Amino acid sequence: MYIFAWLIFILPLISFPLALFIGKYRRNLAGIIASSLIGLSLVFSVLTYFDVQNNGIIYESFHWFSNINFGIYVDNLTLIMLLMVSFVSLMIQLFSIYYMKDDPNRHVYFAETSLFTAGMLGLVESSNLVFFFLFWELVGLCSYLLIGFWFFKPNAASAAKKAFIVTRVGDLLFLIGMSVLYTSLSGSSLLSPGQSPLSIPTIINLISSNSARFVSVVGSTNLGIITLLFLGGVAGKSSQFPLHVWIPDAMEGPATVSALIHAATMVTAGIYLVARVFPLYEVAPSYSLITVAILGAFTALFAGILGIVMNDIKRILAYSTISQLGYMLAAIGLSGIIGSIGVSLGMYHLIVHAMFKALLFMSAGAIMIALMDLRNVKEMGGLWRKMPVTVSLMFIGAITLAALPPTAAFFSKDAIIAGAWEYFSLSNGSIIYLLPWIFLTIGAFLTAIYTFRMFFLVALGKPRSHLAEHAKDAPLIALIPLFFLAALSLVLGLFQGGFYNFIYPVYRGIDPSSVITYSAPGIIQYIPLILALFGILITYVIYGTERWKHIDASKSWFYRVTKEKFYLDYLFTRLIAERTIIPVSGSIADVEYSYNAGIEKFGSKSLGFGSFLRKMQTGLVENYFLVIVLGMTLVFIVLIIGGAF
Amino acid sequence: MFMLAIFIVLILLSFATFFMGTRAGVFAKSSAALILMLTVVYAFLNFSGTGAGGFTSESTYAFASGIGIYFSIGVDGLTVSLLILSAVISLIALLIANRKEYTASFYGLMLLTETGLFGILLSRDFLFFYIFWEIVLVPMYFIIGRYGGERKDTVSLKFFVYTHIGSVFILLSILTLFSYYYSYSGVFTLQMSTLLNSAFINNSGYLPLFWKDFMLFGFLLGFLVKLPSFPLHSWLPDSYTTAPYPATVMLAGGLSLMGGYGLFGILLPIYSTINITVLWVLIALGIISLLYFAFTAMFQMNMKRMMAYASASAMGFVTISFAAGILDSTLSIRSIELSGGIFQIVAHGIIMALIFSVLYFITENTGKENIYQMGGVHREMPWLSSFLLAGFLASLGLPGLAGFIGEFSIVVGMFQTVGWLIFFVILAMIVTASYHIWTAQRSLYGAYNENLGKIKDASRSEIAILASVTLVIFVLGVYPNLIFGIISAYVGGII
Repeated sequence: MYIFAWLIFILPLISFPLALFIGKYRRNLAGIIASSLIGLSLVFSVLTYFDVQNNGIIYESFHWFSNINFGIYVDNLTLIMLLMVSFVSLMIQLFSIYYMKDDPNRHVYFAETSLFTAGMLGLVESSNLVFFFLFWELVGLCSYLLIGFWFFKPNAASAAKKAFIVTRVGDLLFLIGMSVLYTSLSGSSLLSPGQSPLSIPTIINLISSNSARFVSVVGSTNLGIITLLFLGGVAGKSSQFPLHVWIPDAMEGPATVSALIHAATMVTAGIYLVARVFPLYEVAPSYSLITVAILGAFTALFAGILGIVMNDIKRILAYSTISQLGYMLAAIGLSGIIGSIGVSLGMYHLIVHAMFKALLFMSAGAIMIALMDLRNVKEMGGLWRKMPVTVSLMFIGAITLAALPPTAAFFSKDAIIAGAWEYFSLSNGSIIYLLPWIFLTIGAFLTAIYTFRMFFLVALGKPRSHLAEHAKDAPLIALIPLFFLAALSLVLGLFQGGFYNFIYPVYRGIDPSSVITYSAPGIIQYIPLILALFGILITYVIYGTERWKHIDASKSWFYRVTKEKFYLDYLFTRLIAERTIIPVSGSIADVEYSYNAGIEKFGSKSLGFGSFLRKMQTGLVENYFLVIVLGMTLVFIVLIIGGAF
Repeated sequence: MFMLAIFIVLILLSFATFFMGTRAGVFAKSSAALILMLTVVYAFLNFSGTGAGGFTSESTYAFASGIGIYFSIGVDGLTVSLLILSAVISLIALLIANRKEYTASFYGLMLLTETGLFGILLSRDFLFFYIFWEIVLVPMYFIIGRYGGERKDTVSLKFFVYTHIGSVFILLSILTLFSYYYSYSGVFTLQMSTLLNSAFINNSGYLPLFWKDFMLFGFLLGFLVKLPSFPLHSWLPDSYTTAPYPATVMLAGGLSLMGGYGLFGILLPIYSTINITVLWVLIALGIISLLYFAFTAMFQMNMKRMMAYASASAMGFVTISFAAGILDSTLSIRSIELSGGIFQIVAHGIIMALIFSVLYFITENTGKENIYQMGGVHREMPWLSSFLLAGFLASLGLPGLAGFIGEFSIVVGMFQTVGWLIFFVILAMIVTASYHIWTAQRSLYGAYNENLGKIKDASRSEIAILASVTLVIFVLGVYPNLIFGIISAYVGGII
């Protein structure tokens, strides 16, 4: 038994009932329990790190039901995620103690966030896709509960519902993918009897030992279908186009919950899934990785555009998350041509993003606390002077998000864009292979714009509301977790090469090419940075001063379309839910009603129910019945005993 | 022998309950608890350890040996899991029954229903099987007719006549088998193990093709009415809604259990006699049931009626599992598919018991069943609302809860047979998730509906009942092998 590795997700799992029940009587203990157990998870993650470095991959599984196993599988990819998730969750948990200090139901909050973290840690470690799916849904459930944490707010209740249903659509596509994989592998010659077809190490080993045989058994078309269906699940969980619609609404929960969802626990699960089952994508037909790359890049661009027109500070950050997830997914998709280094690029950006996004959300949370939950950036302003520490922390987050040197994202994001150029130059030159680079580069420009639009509106100028005038910094002790995250956002860039080398062995079996970091030629390498700086300049000219007040964009059609989020919400809620699903269910319910009424009518006419009814309901019948059954039973028991002896 | 003793004790207890007067409630509750305990002990003694589900104990007692009627009872992996299920739901149904108007005969009738369920599962002889099959209807008829809600007279009669017609077809099928077996062998027998013989049924010299089809049709019709499957469900929504809540618990778990037992206990052993076309019709009916009931449920305003349809929808999985499982060509897929169907019956029974129990307490405390008359009740009744959410999540198949294991096992192997029809199943699952979550949003969360006034949450004993049921659902969800192992072994013995 690898006790430490198991305890990593079991501890926060235990924290759920503990925080709930102890917290019920001693509210303040809940946060301490949750934090310390997650802290222990972090400790065990570190111990497991050394264990794996010294003794190799941890794999342990037990029989669950039928030919499905459950267990843990820890390799370098898992380790990276374990360390990130437990560390960022711990930081968020610590900040939550301050953030939630006045909420009467905070024990529920801490219990649910622990469960959330446990779900993510379990997901990361799972050795079987079914076990993985269990945690995958647990994470979805926790996000549902936490988004709707302030259940009395109608918006929160409706956002929670939306998050659950939209991600559920993706999850069930993932489930079909598993069904296809399961049925194609079950009973095939590849598996020895009793081996679970959905075990992750089994799949990895099968592919790395003989990928041609694997492809011929499963079938190339099937592999394409499987990977695309998995991608459906990824789109739901990691909020890729067009299933991203739940994330902006999900901002109705506490800001720390948003930090958890966006940085550590939920949205990265989809990216991790692709990285985890990457061998499947590697052997699938090339269109599936192309789809991954284009989808990711398109989402990066698309969400970037939306981020510019939002005024809600949390929604701006939400769209930035969608966009950054697009970068990660696109990076993995690039591996179709540039080799498995693409996964490392994506995972590296995932880790960096977790740090600065948690930082940004929590500093936004600190601002919201000071401003009595005000979220409209146009009513803030001048906060750099009012709350210097918080806004400075946010500044570090902002320059990291915009990928300015020397922050970590400069290394992680520009590497992805350079990889996208390499993707094009190694391809056959078809324009479709250039799309990721175009999308991602424009995305970098947009990122700088929406980030600094938000930052300038928050920090510069004069306070534009009464609340903003009286804002004050949070106590320094509460902000300590933010300092850690800010420091990491700045220095993580140092580990770029080391990180790629660390991830590399995971895919050595399927892609023996050595690690290369790509650099695009000459000027092309610097295009993203130049665009970002240019974007910041424009934004400063408009939003750094008070000029934006005189610009009225509401007349332009593009602004209106963007403000309506390209009518996607309209499509989903109005056209699909309200105009299709509900009328369909209404008419089916009508059919059902008439069917029942018809049967009843037929029955009462042909059988003459009326008179029969009167006879049956005299009350005497019951007694008759009782006597008869009693008599029968007696006879019957006597006969049994007589027959038996 | 031990099982026979339990059964006789159950019969005696249920009759004794009628004469217990004011103490009938306590007596019935303790009786049900005792029966559950004994059944679990029995199951533990005989079925613990994996692979033990193939175990069958069968004891036969002469009843009227001259005309070939024996009373024989037996237990195998399928029946033992369903026995536990019926004991569990009966206990839950009795525990939640707390109204003053429930007299001794109410409790007696409830226990009699349990007796009927036990009898159906234990009988290895078609005569007694049929008798108990009919016996279940009678107490239910009286409970609905006496203690039910609106239109109870019409609904109870509809329930009785409708399901009785289904049963008559079963009787005709039994008689067909019986008479042709007699003309083939010259032996009067109603023994299941003798009559359910694929070689005999498949040989058109012994059993003419028409009568074979007639026999299968009769069985299927009778079982699908009970399950229920579209379009034989017309009794269900009214009966579930009108029945008092404890009886709804019994109906939801018990009647679908009967239908499921019919499919997996009577028809699965002779699966090779079932025509491929029939199986495809069953798959189609299953998928239609899933979608049709899910969509209907979405439009219901009354929560009890909505859950009635949800329950019917979940049974669509069982039909699909039965038919697709037989059609699957790979052994391991066939095993997971069929076992999943049986597990689904068990899980569904317990989940519906939880949901209807919570709805009962909510209705008792608020006086409302309509979704739109509630709203934000989580503020006033956090316990009940959390339990309802837990039930909903289990019902929509969330992993970690019992509902998932059955649905997953069915869906994961389904692709081999049904191919892209799987999208309809997934669509139904999405709709199912949607209406559950939508209902939770409208009734439990959001702004509190002040018209409800001051309402109270569940009492301590109610919380204890609901928490234990939730715990069972959770345990079956994370450690399904408690039951799944026994079921797999049963299925493995047949296929």
